[in-house]
Amino acid sequence: MPALAQRLNRIEVAPSVAMTIKARELRAAGKPVITLTTGEPNFASPPNAIEAAHQAALAGDTKYPPQDGTRALKEAIQAKFKRDSGLDYALDEISVSNGGKQCLFNALMATVDAGDEVVIPVPSWSAYAQMAKIAEGEPVLVPCPQNNGFKPRPEDIDAAITPKTKWLILNNPNNPTGACCSAEELAAIAAVMRKHPHVWILSDDMYEHLVFDGFRHATIAQVAPDLKDRTLTVSGVSKTYAMTGWRIGFAAGPKALIKAMVNMQGQATAGVSTVGQAAATAALNGPQDGVQVQIDAYKRRRDMAVEMLNACPGIACHKPEGAFYVFPNVAGCLGKTTAGGRKLDSDRDVCLALLEEQYVATVHGAAYYMSPYLRISTATADAELEEGLRRIQTFCEGLH
Amino acid sequence: MSLTAERLDRIQPSLTIAISTVARRMIAEGKNVISLSQGEPDFDTPRNIKDAAIRAIEGGETKYTDVAGTQAVRKAVAEKFKRESGIDYKPEEIIVSTGAKQVLFNAMVATLNAGDEVIIPSPCWVSYPDIVTLADGKPVLVPCSQNNGFKLRPEDLEAAITPKTRWFMLNNPCNPTGAAYDAAELKALTDVLLRHPHVWVLTDDIYDKLAYDGFKPATIAAVEPKLKDRTLTVHGVSKSYAMTGWRIGFAGGPVPLIKAMDKLQSQSTSNPNSVAQAATVEALTGPQESIEAMRKVFEERRDLVVEALNKAPGMHCTKPEGAFYVYPSVQGCLGKTSKGGKKIETDEDFALTLLAEEGVATVHGAAFCYPGYIRISYANATDELREAMTRIQRFCQGLH
Repeated sequence: MPALAQRLNRIEVAPSVAMTIKARELRAAGKPVITLTTGEPNFASPPNAIEAAHQAALAGDTKYPPQDGTRALKEAIQAKFKRDSGLDYALDEISVSNGGKQCLFNALMATVDAGDEVVIPVPSWSAYAQMAKIAEGEPVLVPCPQNNGFKPRPEDIDAAITPKTKWLILNNPNNPTGACCSAEELAAIAAVMRKHPHVWILSDDMYEHLVFDGFRHATIAQVAPDLKDRTLTVSGVSKTYAMTGWRIGFAAGPKALIKAMVNMQGQATAGVSTVGQAAATAALNGPQDGVQVQIDAYKRRRDMAVEMLNACPGIACHKPEGAFYVFPNVAGCLGKTTAGGRKLDSDRDVCLALLEEQYVATVHGAAYYMSPYLRISTATADAELEEGLRRIQTFCEGLH
Repeated sequence: MSLTAERLDRIQPSLTIAISTVARRMIAEGKNVISLSQGEPDFDTPRNIKDAAIRAIEGGETKYTDVAGTQAVRKAVAEKFKRESGIDYKPEEIIVSTGAKQVLFNAMVATLNAGDEVIIPSPCWVSYPDIVTLADGKPVLVPCSQNNGFKLRPEDLEAAITPKTRWFMLNNPCNPTGAAYDAAELKALTDVLLRHPHVWVLTDDIYDKLAYDGFKPATIAAVEPKLKDRTLTVHGVSKSYAMTGWRIGFAGGPVPLIKAMDKLQSQSTSNPNSVAQAATVEALTGPQESIEAMRKVFEERRDLVVEALNKAPGMHCTKPEGAFYVYPSVQGCLGKTSKGGKKIETDEDFALTLLAEEGVATVHGAAFCYPGYIRISYANATDELREAMTRIQRFCQGLH
């Protein structure tokens, strides 16, 4: 075995993997494990998307696609950005990738040189920092405390920017907290970014449709049109249309950046599965009422989760604007001992003890660069979620 | 600071753009253009495979899978390697990616440090050196001359190895020449490799089902089991099953390498399309008759094309063992002037003039790091091929 490339040695294995393996072992041993770790909707993909995939396969739409996406899908994405965000993009300002993840990977690999800094508000999905490292950049993490609703403060972003900063990454709504900046909050961040014309902005809006209580999702290119020529807006069909396995994400931004990303993708994977593209086209162009059904379900579950978690001794849970996660603070549980006799010194301890004693799988906050928290996914059937939350209550009540 | 990263700036712009731009313009103008430039079978994906995809969609196989592919697809791949090549891989020694291209990309990005050398016999698929360059490595091209059937000589391999060599990459059968190695020819190469334990081997066998006249392409891990623990065997369904657009490639190799590739893939794209994975299981485990039917047609076309090209004055075409390309020399045409009055100085001039005057699109050899030749793909309807050959002969007869 040749030693691995240095760039790969810099990547950490996701801390959540250990929990996933443990949960799998317990389930294999016949334990009634409830999984609240999943990052994917528990709904089926829309029927019209499924039908479109059938038709594409049957019609022989199974040849190499253009590397930047089929024309039909790019037109659907163009219409989507116009419809949802009032954003005008030409077709050569749009590219299609294997999941939103590859859009981010392409963007960072195509632009980040050794030592370039990438500013990432945390808590965040760990992939941002890991990808920055693969691209030989330096992730610069900016904490977004719970008492600010887990949202980045403009002054903290300002302080994090240096001459070496290449990108600011915004995730709105956010995984793992569900926090979502409003148009006004984004405008305040945009005001800071105007002072730093060398910094590009990546807005990952993958959860954009999953917002509650009449909250209106905004994105920075829409709020600050003058920043549009250095903003990459990323979204996809995975979360909105329950199409995680199809692996379709897309990005819109200035032509030069999109071209560089397509070049990058051309060397990494080439075009995206044609059948998946046909399904995504149908999902974007077809009826959107299925989305509302999901939003209603996620809102109902969020309300239940926040209420039940706040009834747990030692837990304080913020009510987020969107996504399908809540990110309760477990500081009040630390230093205590569980009913099973386990001492809790970190969120990782809480997570492991909860899994081993109550068979509830969650992910600890350290996996998202902020402790002591747990991430709980509400992309779980109502009854199962409720049972999971009840067990968390039992767990907390047993602490001493 | 410049938008793009140095790693991307090092990649040469595509050499085929001039030709494809002209071809597109001619088609838009209503000209009759025959394209012999495509790298994909003109056959449709077999019906049983499409049906399996449709069943997978209906069965809800639309969710995230393991990053390296479902258990079912990895098992099918392991069985394929056993059945067809006699190589034993366990499922954890298999990774499935978005096209074989991603397998190569993963392997290089996961293992190369700046300045590491990768030996690539040329003519070669241009993505090999580009991917190496992108991963900060240094491609070392070893010319394989037409009078040796475009095959690598062991002494040239030996001479190219240095202490900095990390990989030897072999494409068997080869794109663009169609040259393929049997077990005895490979043994001569593996004897060299056995003397250099620091060199890893990547063998890209994606075309190995397409071999003619009873020729049996061999693969390194089978020919020399002592090399198996430093060999990555790459394959996919694109060429064998006419599934280019589905984007599924895979590889077998030692666990630490597969794990490293899995780690990288988990940060760049995650799992390949779930529906396409199900289609791949059917392709690999279902009826295999369609392959033989395609192979027979390709063999007839190869014979037709080689015979016709060798009748074109100034061209000289070797009859290759496999793939669906031939790689005729056009050196006898250089320095001449076409009927339309164009001076032909290079293989690119030849390809461009052939396109402009006769409406036949090919790719010139410089695009495969080996000028003086053109690549002709015979993955095209037999009647169209016949017409194209008539035009090429006419073109060459008109040179003076």
